[in-house]
Amino acid sequence: MAFSQKRIQKEILTMTTSPPPGTRLVTETMQTTKEFLVEVHGAQGTLFAGEQFKLLFKFGDRYPFESPQVMFVGDHIPEHPHVYSNGHICLSILTDDWSPALSVESVCLSILSMLSSCTEKKRPPDNAFYIRTCSSNPKDTRWWYHDDKV
Amino acid sequence: MTDEPGTSNSSQPSSTQFECNICLDTAKDAVISYCGHLFCWPCLHQWLETRPNRQECPVCKAGIGKDKVVPLYGRGSSNNVDPREKLPPRPQAQRPAAENRNMGWNGLNLGDGFQMSFGIGAFPFGFFGSMFNVNDGRPRTPPPDTPQYQDEQVISKVFLFVAIFMMFWLFVS
Repeated sequence: MAFSQKRIQKEILTMTTSPPPGTRLVTETMQTTKEFLVEVHGAQGTLFAGEQFKLLFKFGDRYPFESPQVMFVGDHIPEHPHVYSNGHICLSILTDDWSPALSVESVCLSILSMLSSCTEKKRPPDNAFYIRTCSSNPKDTRWWYHDDKV
Repeated sequence: MTDEPGTSNSSQPSSTQFECNICLDTAKDAVISYCGHLFCWPCLHQWLETRPNRQECPVCKAGIGKDKVVPLYGRGSSNNVDPREKLPPRPQAQRPAAENRNMGWNGLNLGDGFQMSFGIGAFPFGFFGSMFNVNDGRPRTPPPDTPQYQDEQVISKVFLFVAIFMMFWLFVS
């Protein structure tokens, strides 16, 4: 418990002092260190240039040995083949390929990179079915990671 | 112009070079993987316990394990005990209740005789087990031409007759 809090504190410090380009920790509405928002700005020269999204991070007591829960929130969800319209993200480092050496910073960078390499703005093919049947926690979904092009 | 030894021209403070890759604090009871990544042994140990079937370096996903890390002993370290020997306290073992394996056979309970259906249920296992020598728990048969072999043959025949009699009795009654 204290272990995860100590590490989250360090990550918050990094995100406020030297955030990765195109991201900003939303400190104004931050109430606990167990969950916070990060603003993500679409990179210049990509399909998402000029757009702004909000990522919600939620941390369990077993962090960093267990991945955080990460999803897009708000009314602007990026239209991407790996992002469902409810904000859930199909990204292997958020479940199976998580490692305690990853951080808020590296997760933000991975998501930015995933957005930047997008070639066509569209929803995942099973979007309508998934958002009707899924749990509110994206980590409860058994994700199939099959497309590593985007 | 060359740098003085021990100074770093990176923008990060030099202490961050010796941070554990898991807790992001200066590594305590430090170990280093063969791939060169630094961890506190308690941190790495907990990660290896978290995923026992995927022992990978958290940084580079190279193979890692208790025998694939080197403990580091700095001059200031108080005692040169191998950090791998002083494990963090492990979680207590648990003894959950066993699953009820008889569930399936209870389903065969047709009306009047529980004992009858149980007998039929248990029957094929013993039968096929001895027929195909699935039970490996038994001692090996002694070599032929020894007195023990002769005795076992006799006993085996006696039990065979008993079994045939029992089955005959079952069918007749």
